[in-house]
Amino acid sequence: MNATPNSMQESPEKSASTPHAGGKCAVQIQNLSFNYGSSEALKNITLDLERNGVTAFIGPSGCGKSTLLRCINRMNDEIVGARVTKGKIIVEDIDIHDPSVDVVKLRRDVGMVFQKSNPFPRSIFENVAFGLRMRGIRNKAVIEQSVEESLRAAALWDEVKDRLNESALGLSGGQQQRLCIARTIAVKPLVVLMDEPCSALDPIATAKVEELIWSLKKDYTFVVVTHNMHQASRVSDKTAFFYMGEMIEFGETTKMFTNPSVKRTEDYISGRFG
Amino acid sequence: MVSPNPQSESSGHRFQRRGFSFERAIRFFFASNAGLTIFILLLIIVFLLREGLGFFPGYRRELEVYRIAGLEFVDISRKNLSAHEQVTSLLNRAYQAEINGKCCNELRRSQEASALYSTFSDQVGPTRDLILNNPAATTGGDAGMLAVLRTNYEAQRAKALTNLPPAPHLSVAERQELIDSLRNRPAEATEEPPIVAKLNAEFAAARQSHAEPLQKFRETIDNFESAGMDLGSIVMEMTESVTATKEALQTADILEKDRKTLLAAAANAKDPIEREKLIADAKAALAEKPDVEGPMATLMEKKPDCVKVHEQLVTSVGEIFPNLPGSLTQANASRYLKAATAAWPVLISDLKATPAKISSWTHTEPVPLSAAFISFLTGRSWVTGGEWQDFYGIIPLAVGSLMIAIVALTIAIPVGIGAAIYVNQFAAPREQALVKPVIEFIQAIPSVVLGFLGIMVFGTILREISTFDSLSWVPGFPIDERLNIFTAGCLLALMSVPTIFSLAEDALNNVPSAYAEASEALGASRLQTAFRVMVPAAFSGILAAVLLGLGRVIGETMVVLLVAGNRIKIPDFSEGIGAFFQPSHTLTGIIAQELGEVPLGSVHYRALFVIGITLFVVVLGINATAHHFLTRKKK
Repeated sequence: MNATPNSMQESPEKSASTPHAGGKCAVQIQNLSFNYGSSEALKNITLDLERNGVTAFIGPSGCGKSTLLRCINRMNDEIVGARVTKGKIIVEDIDIHDPSVDVVKLRRDVGMVFQKSNPFPRSIFENVAFGLRMRGIRNKAVIEQSVEESLRAAALWDEVKDRLNESALGLSGGQQQRLCIARTIAVKPLVVLMDEPCSALDPIATAKVEELIWSLKKDYTFVVVTHNMHQASRVSDKTAFFYMGEMIEFGETTKMFTNPSVKRTEDYISGRFG
Repeated sequence: MVSPNPQSESSGHRFQRRGFSFERAIRFFFASNAGLTIFILLLIIVFLLREGLGFFPGYRRELEVYRIAGLEFVDISRKNLSAHEQVTSLLNRAYQAEINGKCCNELRRSQEASALYSTFSDQVGPTRDLILNNPAATTGGDAGMLAVLRTNYEAQRAKALTNLPPAPHLSVAERQELIDSLRNRPAEATEEPPIVAKLNAEFAAARQSHAEPLQKFRETIDNFESAGMDLGSIVMEMTESVTATKEALQTADILEKDRKTLLAAAANAKDPIEREKLIADAKAALAEKPDVEGPMATLMEKKPDCVKVHEQLVTSVGEIFPNLPGSLTQANASRYLKAATAAWPVLISDLKATPAKISSWTHTEPVPLSAAFISFLTGRSWVTGGEWQDFYGIIPLAVGSLMIAIVALTIAIPVGIGAAIYVNQFAAPREQALVKPVIEFIQAIPSVVLGFLGIMVFGTILREISTFDSLSWVPGFPIDERLNIFTAGCLLALMSVPTIFSLAEDALNNVPSAYAEASEALGASRLQTAFRVMVPAAFSGILAAVLLGLGRVIGETMVVLLVAGNRIKIPDFSEGIGAFFQPSHTLTGIIAQELGEVPLGSVHYRALFVIGITLFVVVLGINATAHHFLTRKKK
């Protein structure tokens, strides 16, 4: 890791406060192609994700949007036969597929929230404190403060402050998903990847999560994969439309939803297929 | 019959089921199979209870005879006598260990030389005997034959010399000297080679010189030993009379039982002549009541003597105690001494309590059924077929089973769970494909084969390793017995590893992959994910795996029967951890070993059934707990 020009930040406090290298872009994806075995899942994708912006990935099922999302924190590493065939992803001025990159440290800066909420079968407090403990932080006061901040940021504090020591599995679906967001931001990552975060939630819980994304935008860079056009138009600054492993169009959300430049985008947004 | 369908007259509506279809027959067949297994389980339980529960009344009667005949009274003194003997033996062991430890080099040298010599003698023995037993050797008859035998002997002698065991404590010169003296050894020679005699003499001299400073200790031991002589002789005197009473009572019991059987047969007999005959037989079998009171009165007259002997013993034992040395130089010697001094106050307080026990004892006190229960559950001895009195105490067997289980689980839990965590969390798919079937294959090895391996390979190797000088610091080393608790525990560990491994691996596999994903996305390493997320989430499943492994260990019979050494005695805990290297018997082993030899329906036979019930209940309890953890996990 010492060979890295700008090693991943060790302390969560620091990573949030220090000015980041890499200019305006948090993540740069350059000519990326990706295969599952012999089938090509992503074809030559080039995309820059802006710092403190929300980027939505939309597209029909199987278009590669989730695959691309999982490439950014290398969650695809565990899948047998999955590999990057061409191009690179640059986070903080380093190609994340470089052999010197420690994937554990990468994931500390690129957090992820999953489609189905997956809190650990332990207390609410311990769920949020998990990432901090994994980083070796033992100071009780620091952990307590961080847990409270994260839960407040995730707009969950008032609902759970009296039962922090109860099992997280006792929360409702929406609360569980917000807990997962709190857990992710507790370690102060640069980028938060969200893989259809609201697909299992009812409209009220969905609205809460969307509000949350909007309010947290000033501190984090979000990438949200969604099937829901309205959600994409509500939460995102920029939108990328994928189809059959290719990126068809990428631009300002407002423009994309009112005046798409490609016919296929328009067909998809207006519901003619997908 | 008003049918909605006039075409089918006999069989009602066309939707209605007709006859006994093939499908129903198949279903019935499977249902009856399931029912049969449950029925057999019930039969087993009923059978166990029917055979087993008769034990307690039978055992109660035996205990009653034990009391009425006065054996119990004598046992009060006998117990003290054996406690005294035990302390004597501990002191003697301390004394010997101290001396042998001090001249251990001389001891080893003389032992090694003797071993070399005896190996040689064993090998040349047959050819030498041929010469010595040949009449020609003394009468000078067939000289030609004798010459052939002598050549034969010389060839064997040369061969034997190339085939001698190692002797690390002898110098090369000494070994050579011994070999040289054997090389030309005539067939008629009977005396030891000079070097062997010399080393033996050296050892004897060393013993002598080390024994001198311990002279006072020796005298103390001798004084202590002789202090118990009076008690020994009074016990012996009483023993004879009470045994006779007991035998008379037992004979009467048998006759009474016969009479009852005959009367019952008579009641069922149809033929009146037959009945008369049976009743006459029953009358003839009627035993006269054996005289209990007479011998008992004689026994009770000995009470004052008994009390006096005990009082004397208390005084002399108390006087001797300060004469014991405070410490000894050799580690095992001081351990024995420590055990003896620890037993001392117990012995004194037991002896002091005895006179009161002796005076208050009376043979008329009834023996309740609960006494049989208590004696079974808390009895510290399992004595059967003895001359004195049979005791069916489960403790020595249960302790043996427990200690073996402790050894087995201490080894199997880390190995089994460690392997499961590795295979499930870290191993590459190819490793998984290799390791899993191999570990599970161990389960397929018949336990008798494992037991065989345990005796012939593992036990022997372990004992040889334990004789290394560099390992003498390990408690219990060198091991006396090749078959012991530790060996059995190791083999059972091998047998329970597959159970623990497979179930723990399943439990880890059942943890939702979302947990692992979430943990990794939060920047936890593989190791952190495995131990902070996966293992805690699978904890109840892993606990169930351990419990089922324990069930397997407790219930296993063949290996323990072959390897545990089968000595029915509570291990001697004065050896500390070394107790694990002593032989022991087990709950399962005793049933397998003794059930084939006991008379059907005897108290001993029923006692084995009660042990069976105990095992059944324990294993059932373990499995039920494991089941509880498994189902709790699924919720």
